[in-house]
Amino acid sequence: MSSEINTGFLKDKRLDTIAADILRPVGITQGFLVWMAFLSISLAGCIYAYYIQCDKGLIVTGLRDYVSWGMYIANFVFFVATSLVGMLISSVLGMIGFKWVKPIARIAEIIAVAFAAIAGLVIVSDMGRPERLPYVFMYGRIQSPILWDVTVVTTYLVLSTLLYFIPLIPDLAISKGRIGHTPKWLQSTYETLSVKWDHTPKQYQILLKLVRILLILIIPTAFAIHTVTSWLFAVTTRPGWDSTIFGPYFLTGAFVAGSAAVVIMMYFVRTNYKLEKYLTDYHFDMMGKLIVLVSIVYLYFNINEFLIPAYKLKTAEAIHLQELFVGEHAFLFWTVQLSGLILPIILLLFKFFRKPFPIFIIGTVMLIASWFKRLLIVVPTQENPFLPRQFVPDAWMVYQPTIVETAITMGTILMAVMIITVLVKFFPVIPIWEVAEEECHTNNDQPKV
Amino acid sequence: MKKRYLSLLLIFVITLRLSAQQEWIVPAENLSKLSTFAFSDSTRKAGMNLYITNCKSCHGDPGKNNVIKLVPPPVDPASDRMQANTDGGMYFKISQGRMPMPTFKNILSPTDVWVVISYLRSFNPKYAQEVAPKVLTGAMVQNVKIHLNWLKEKDQVQAVVSGTKDKIEQPVAGAEVKLFAKRYFGNLLIDEARNTDAQGQVLFNFPKDLPGDSTGYVQLLARLSDEEAYGESKSETTLQIGVPTYKPPLNEQRAMWNVVQKTPIWLLLSYTFTVLAVWAFIFYVLFQIRAISKSGLSKDQDTID
Repeated sequence: MSSEINTGFLKDKRLDTIAADILRPVGITQGFLVWMAFLSISLAGCIYAYYIQCDKGLIVTGLRDYVSWGMYIANFVFFVATSLVGMLISSVLGMIGFKWVKPIARIAEIIAVAFAAIAGLVIVSDMGRPERLPYVFMYGRIQSPILWDVTVVTTYLVLSTLLYFIPLIPDLAISKGRIGHTPKWLQSTYETLSVKWDHTPKQYQILLKLVRILLILIIPTAFAIHTVTSWLFAVTTRPGWDSTIFGPYFLTGAFVAGSAAVVIMMYFVRTNYKLEKYLTDYHFDMMGKLIVLVSIVYLYFNINEFLIPAYKLKTAEAIHLQELFVGEHAFLFWTVQLSGLILPIILLLFKFFRKPFPIFIIGTVMLIASWFKRLLIVVPTQENPFLPRQFVPDAWMVYQPTIVETAITMGTILMAVMIITVLVKFFPVIPIWEVAEEECHTNNDQPKV
Repeated sequence: MKKRYLSLLLIFVITLRLSAQQEWIVPAENLSKLSTFAFSDSTRKAGMNLYITNCKSCHGDPGKNNVIKLVPPPVDPASDRMQANTDGGMYFKISQGRMPMPTFKNILSPTDVWVVISYLRSFNPKYAQEVAPKVLTGAMVQNVKIHLNWLKEKDQVQAVVSGTKDKIEQPVAGAEVKLFAKRYFGNLLIDEARNTDAQGQVLFNFPKDLPGDSTGYVQLLARLSDEEAYGESKSETTLQIGVPTYKPPLNEQRAMWNVVQKTPIWLLLSYTFTVLAVWAFIFYVLFQIRAISKSGLSKDQDTID
């Protein structure tokens, strides 16, 4: 993102076309109401499940003495992982100078905001006594990775929200006169949120500076958020978690999950909002190549993570690996590794599979696989502790998720989808000014203002 | 490969089985040993306290068969197998021990062992105690006392044993005395068992490197071996004769495992600095949004286009 901007696009007629295209789906439509009603009713069921859990305690879940982290913590890792893609697309690729990320940067930021916001709630779902949440701040120890995690998740959420909001300001100003078809309150929201933006060069100057600060700041924060999440596991000596590469292993896995989520959302936006002109086959093609890159890096860390313990075969590690490779969890393990990692790498090497619909299907499979991958990181380790399992009922020795906790987990996903829906439906999902500037700048040689 | 593991495992299991089945043979002369005092409610109560401190961690609650998993397994005190022992057999087993049961002869005095047995017998309704006939010893001393002195120049501990005979206090000669230093997990025998001379005195060589508490104090315990003859006689004294040892408690200094007030300085600084630095930028960005708002065009001016 350059520090100077050519505001010539504001006088260009093409801005009107672009704004009209992108703003057309904005507002309350019947489809939106039906979809939100569906989400709300489903969420109500999940909230009832959470009510049961608050009332009866964690006994209504499959969590017991040995496996005390189950679906909830796996879900938490999944949410944090998926949210990291905001940093990858906007910061890393954007600052290197890839122009193709401009139309999809906001999609990535929406995913970052929605998933980071819900990640905090997911942790609360794992608490038997959620009313003790303030104790984290009252009695928390700086020495504990849990406190570091709370700190970085909050910071990342604030940074992602700012990185979503600040580039949105010029768009709100452009849009406010052009959304006559939307309700009054939405128009006045635009008026307030656009903070008296008048497209002055000085304002653009400040805005670009702020975006640059945020883009740089979010890189170490994003690294911290997922590295610290991995430390929650890696600071213990348990087989499967006792690993020095857990930080990069989680980070690279996060890029895989996040990129898949971006592709899925791109596809929905493109087809539902008829934005084929802006989210072109080229963008899907580039995302496909990006997925191959991040998947190969992740595969490399997977090989490290399993090959080294498998070569040494320390007793506890051997039991753990046996459970994953040929034991209880083998079917899930190989399904996840094949469908979420190896097959996508191979398929996406071919141009055909990088077309919107095929890559949407591949992305969906990858995202589901990455959720189960987190479950495979969290659960099998706890089923094989160092000390013998004894004096508990047989059912407590393995983890069997219940309907209640599945419903609560579904609820957190529904909430993330709701946030995404609201942001996508009420605000321009593709940066109007950046796309317009790009278009006018490359085609016209306007004098700089 | 698999076969070899299997056969190894088999050998291991068979060895365990064999050793588990091996009977614990008590030498015949020890079988008929009897307590010199009658078991009563007070001995049973004292025995229960000793049992809870010394035995319960392996033998569990009598009658509940919640023994710890060891090979060979500990026996529940209320079980028939345990109660089939004679009093002397129990006394021998508790005093001597065998793998994996530790020896208690340095931890419990002979009287203590009998007190424990009195508690164990309370789980056997058919048990009727047989008390040893009073043995008249030649000495016939009563109120035996042991006095401990530290002979600094010789690095020796002197024990002086005296008792009353015919209402006159006089030294006890020819009695075997054992000296112990109290440690965390039992008593440590110092030097070896020695007999008193005609003056009732006995000298023990004391090691120069025995760790004491933070100021060098060591708790000493002297006991006569033949409690049947002299009655229960023990003496505890604390002398400043050990090497001063100060082990700071693990929660005294700043450490990762300590409370938040004792966070390591490096961690406190790096956490605080990082959080403040990042949030300083965030607040800067928030304030700059105000600046954006202020640098818009004033109302009377027209927009740029």
